[in-house]
Amino acid sequence: MTMTMSKVGSYDIRSWSGGSGAPLLYLHGFEQHPGDAPYLQKLAGKHSVIAPEHPGYGESTGIEDLQHILDVALHYRQLVEDWGQGPVDVIGHSLGGMFAAEFAAVSPHLVRKLVLVSPYGLWLDAEPAPDPFVLPPDAMAGAKWHDPASAAAETSAFTDDDKGEQAVFRMKNLGSATKFMWPIPDRGLGRRLPYIKAPTLVIRGEADGLVPDAYAQAFTAGIEGARSERIAAAGHLPMVEQEAAFLKVVEEFLA
Amino acid sequence: MKFHWFAEVTYPKLPKDFVERGELNWVKPNPALFDPRQSGEMYRMFIRLMQGADRAGFDGLAVNEHHQGGFAMTPSPNLLAASLASSTENAAILVIGNSLALYNPPIRVAEEMAYLDCLSDGRVIAGFVFGTPMDSVFAYGNPPIEVRERFHEARNLILRSWQEQKPFAFNGKYTKLRYVDLLPRPVQKRPPVWVPGTGSVETWDLVIDESYCYGHLSFSGLYSAKPAVDAYWEYCDKSGGDMNPNRMAFTQIICCAETDAEAEARYYDAVKYFYRMNTVDPQFTSPPGYTTAKSMRAQKTYLTIGESKLTAEDKMRAARGEMSFWEYDEKGFIIAGSPERVRQRVRELATDLRIGQLIACCHVGDLAEEVAAENTRLMGEQVIPHLRDLWSEYPDHWTPETSQRRVAAISPGIATAPEFAK
Repeated sequence: MTMTMSKVGSYDIRSWSGGSGAPLLYLHGFEQHPGDAPYLQKLAGKHSVIAPEHPGYGESTGIEDLQHILDVALHYRQLVEDWGQGPVDVIGHSLGGMFAAEFAAVSPHLVRKLVLVSPYGLWLDAEPAPDPFVLPPDAMAGAKWHDPASAAAETSAFTDDDKGEQAVFRMKNLGSATKFMWPIPDRGLGRRLPYIKAPTLVIRGEADGLVPDAYAQAFTAGIEGARSERIAAAGHLPMVEQEAAFLKVVEEFLA
Repeated sequence: MKFHWFAEVTYPKLPKDFVERGELNWVKPNPALFDPRQSGEMYRMFIRLMQGADRAGFDGLAVNEHHQGGFAMTPSPNLLAASLASSTENAAILVIGNSLALYNPPIRVAEEMAYLDCLSDGRVIAGFVFGTPMDSVFAYGNPPIEVRERFHEARNLILRSWQEQKPFAFNGKYTKLRYVDLLPRPVQKRPPVWVPGTGSVETWDLVIDESYCYGHLSFSGLYSAKPAVDAYWEYCDKSGGDMNPNRMAFTQIICCAETDAEAEARYYDAVKYFYRMNTVDPQFTSPPGYTTAKSMRAQKTYLTIGESKLTAEDKMRAARGEMSFWEYDEKGFIIAGSPERVRQRVRELATDLRIGQLIACCHVGDLAEEVAAENTRLMGEQVIPHLRDLWSEYPDHWTPETSQRRVAAISPGIATAPEFAK
């Protein structure tokens, strides 16, 4: 995958891209862009992949201009229109799942198929999801992973050794996430799910302690014709913990 | 220098094993431990104590805003300020402050502060605060990344609403109002503005550019504050800002008694209560986005200076109530002892940190009312008059003219200051 910095609208956006085939947009989760991740490389074996960093994350700008979730949906519409490939497949993970669903609701003509992986964006009073911003490190590891040892396999867009700069990187990322996930990650997506016309697959790791199963069910029920897949022995990042199983269900769905 | 009477309005009757039980005292307190009648008694006590401080010659009566915590049970400082504005005569009403991001629309702050200024005949100091993370982003749910922007938008709206002589439309990002035409208007054209901070360079730029009074409000004393306060003054000097010490406020716990031994006997338990019972989930103290990347980088540089005088271990022991009374004093958390000792140590502190406005915490924890009243009296009679000379060569544009004039008439020592000599 090649890392590039380019303009999307007036924002400087960092992207990792590569491969050839049908266009595939990958939107990363709330913690960080995974950088040149193995699963992105493998997706690039069959697709032309673009994995942009969200505004305000890492080196990418624009968060100060984003006020409503509509601004995010229009940002990704701009990116896909600039790409010029027509309708694209979209995989959105975690917060990226919320963004992907909003984009698909606002721009149904630009989304061929939609994959939501442990998506945020809904709130269920009967099943409050944990607050991901206040979990102490141990509890976070327990909620995020099926096996906390899997953390070693997680890749990051930040590859420097500087601990101070790493803290700044994380603070910027999570700070930007708060714009759409704080105090509750619901910006009205539930009302807009019926506008999604793309065939949709909802994926959830069975051990995901951040997004409970009821949320995957609510997404599946809210999007017409959507179906769901559970991945065993995986938490919030099934693409890291069970890469092969993850890629298998994704490729079968996109085929 | 000037002295403002202050107390965190701390609930005094928490069970002895509160900490051992793992109870939290902020954001998620256990309401079963708080008796509303006891809260009422506590509020009436603080009103009496502050009325006493007004008579004792204090320059200001300070009230603050916190939410969902038994450490400081003052959800609206304006309510306590209203009780004081109508029942005191001399001191400034130092509202330090309203958490601007939490008021929607923020003209509510402009209205209430104007009301207080009318009621007190022009004695209000308008403190604007970002609010702690516990208050602004946890209890009140603002995304941390928005707090600063909301604060500044509200600040601009409030200041403009005091000034404009015609109705105006305000099209902000967070507040949209078609007709702004405030009533009542404040007695002071624009009450003095104070903005406390915890070392963010963005706040330094603001108070320097706008010539506001800056405040370093902590309860950890001289050594803990010194790196940040020194860095602020250095930054101010380099930026060509006003170096007037009256532009700097600082909180300090004061435990004054006739003798040092008496101070220990009367205050030690309350000091421990104050530090021990402030239990906060550490995950609530630094949410992502509350501090900017710019400030994170700047703090990394200046906070390494002077760390040796107060270690992280010291701070932990202080919070656990494990220090002896005189260790709390020696490490700067409190200033305790006889009036002679207190005035000497306050002079050192104020000189060292270049502080013209001391926010003196004369009540802490579960201290008995009569001890706090005695603390107040000793300060008024035997400490404050001896420190009026400090920084008296500098003008003070950050306390109201009315309170300055009235306090000068009752508090010895001020009349000799050059600003009043003419």
